[in-house]
Amino acid sequence: MLESPWLIAALWIGMALLASMISIRTAISVALIEIIVGAVAGNVIPWAGSLAGVQAKLETTPWINFLAGFGSILLTFLAGAEIEPDVLKKHWKPSLAIGFVSFLMPFLGAMAAAYYLLHWNAQASMIAGVALSTTSVAVVYAVMIETGLNKKDIGKLILASCFVTDLGTVLALGAMFANYNWWLVLFLGVSAVIMPFAPRLTRRFLQRYEGQVSEPEIKLLLFMLFILGGLGAAANSEAVLPAYILGLVVAGVLRDHKETVYHIRVAVFALLTPFYFLKAGALISANAIAQGAGVILLLLLVKVGAKFIGVYPTAKLFKMDHRISMYTTLLMSTGLTFGTISAMFGLTRNLIDSSQYSTLVVVVIASAVVPTLIAQKWFQPQHELVEENGNGA
Amino acid sequence: MVHKKILHGLDGSKGSFKALEESIELAKRYGAELHTVSVEEVPHYPGTVGEVIEAKHAANGKFGQAMQQARELAQKAGVELHCHVFTGHEVKTIIEFIKEKGFDLLVIGFMGHSALYDRVMGSTCHSLVRLAPCAVLVVK
Repeated sequence: MLESPWLIAALWIGMALLASMISIRTAISVALIEIIVGAVAGNVIPWAGSLAGVQAKLETTPWINFLAGFGSILLTFLAGAEIEPDVLKKHWKPSLAIGFVSFLMPFLGAMAAAYYLLHWNAQASMIAGVALSTTSVAVVYAVMIETGLNKKDIGKLILASCFVTDLGTVLALGAMFANYNWWLVLFLGVSAVIMPFAPRLTRRFLQRYEGQVSEPEIKLLLFMLFILGGLGAAANSEAVLPAYILGLVVAGVLRDHKETVYHIRVAVFALLTPFYFLKAGALISANAIAQGAGVILLLLLVKVGAKFIGVYPTAKLFKMDHRISMYTTLLMSTGLTFGTISAMFGLTRNLIDSSQYSTLVVVVIASAVVPTLIAQKWFQPQHELVEENGNGA
Repeated sequence: MVHKKILHGLDGSKGSFKALEESIELAKRYGAELHTVSVEEVPHYPGTVGEVIEAKHAANGKFGQAMQQARELAQKAGVELHCHVFTGHEVKTIIEFIKEKGFDLLVIGFMGHSALYDRVMGSTCHSLVRLAPCAVLVVK
């Protein structure tokens, strides 16, 4: 067992380094590779220890938990801040409709499947509903960039709908398990004061301090995130809810300050998200996956099926043809970051057990890969190659 | 065989510049049109939008430099070079581009990966040779 925090840190950063190298070599996202590396280490270390006759496990300490939690808050904040408010305004009607059903149907479907078919208790079923209701904006965005659809109306509409779905997820996560007490009142009150002023205050800080090496504007954002997150946590809500909403409200301001966003990303990707994703992987139990393969397949089918029931007819209602409706539905069936955040929320609050957590995270990962492959292989809308910054013919 | 429209694959590596020198020679010899294509590959299944944006940003910088160097090389040889940059899957994008523009020769540098990497991940070079609808010259 490692005692020294430096050695524990070296082990975790070593895993993060390995994940980065694999990610660069394979062009698969570092987040996904970190989950996989975490899962391998989390399962292989105890196994190797048992072979050697010693008790060994991948250490998670309070400070690793803090860094992982901090990582998830900033991931969520960045997810909110990455929205283009103009796109949401332009496509608000269809994106609200598609995004809402894309959240609601799998939320209800997965919750019912977990409760009635798998006989999970009510709280675990709710976590299953939330974790599988998500859509991965990032996975969808990568596909849009590859196909050039991010520059077309259909691509922008799909992305805006994904943001609405994720908003549904964080609202559900924040509201369903909260204690309805004075802490919640205080949290809502402080949020109601901070949120409307956050864009103006952030803009003012950026105008005045951007470029300073001590980064006061980033500290201001962190200050707001910690206050809201702390009050949210005191009400047993989830810190990612205010983080996502704060991201949404300052998105318009940060759009004009790419350098600041870049600095936040560097700090987050280098120091915080590796701890989050590695931990998310380390908590996966290989035994639970092996024993629950059928459950994993069932929940994946429920998630994708429920997205079809909700999104496909809604897309048709907004006059998308069959191919585009199928493409939209499949892309909105993806999930990754918010799904793992929801599952981790459930596990750390003992709402689900280790085996349920493992099942949910594997379903979430599968939902990032399988629908994307099907969408790209069979339903990709016709598109021309879109040139970047060459001097082409 | 006389080539009239040559496409060169530029990824910024030493191998791809060696292939560019060969392409320039061929373009001069045949009086052919010379194009170069670079493909930015964004990470698959990303956890955040930022991961995609930063990967694209890094690729833009890398390919911007490589294109500049390639243009200078071509200019020195008195050959006009048309540069193209796309985002997507390397092999798929290059094959689509060849079909769309009707190139009759693809020139690429040999990329030496380990045997294990090639077996597990497949090699871009092999895939291009297998799938290209035109003649392919691999420069080693």
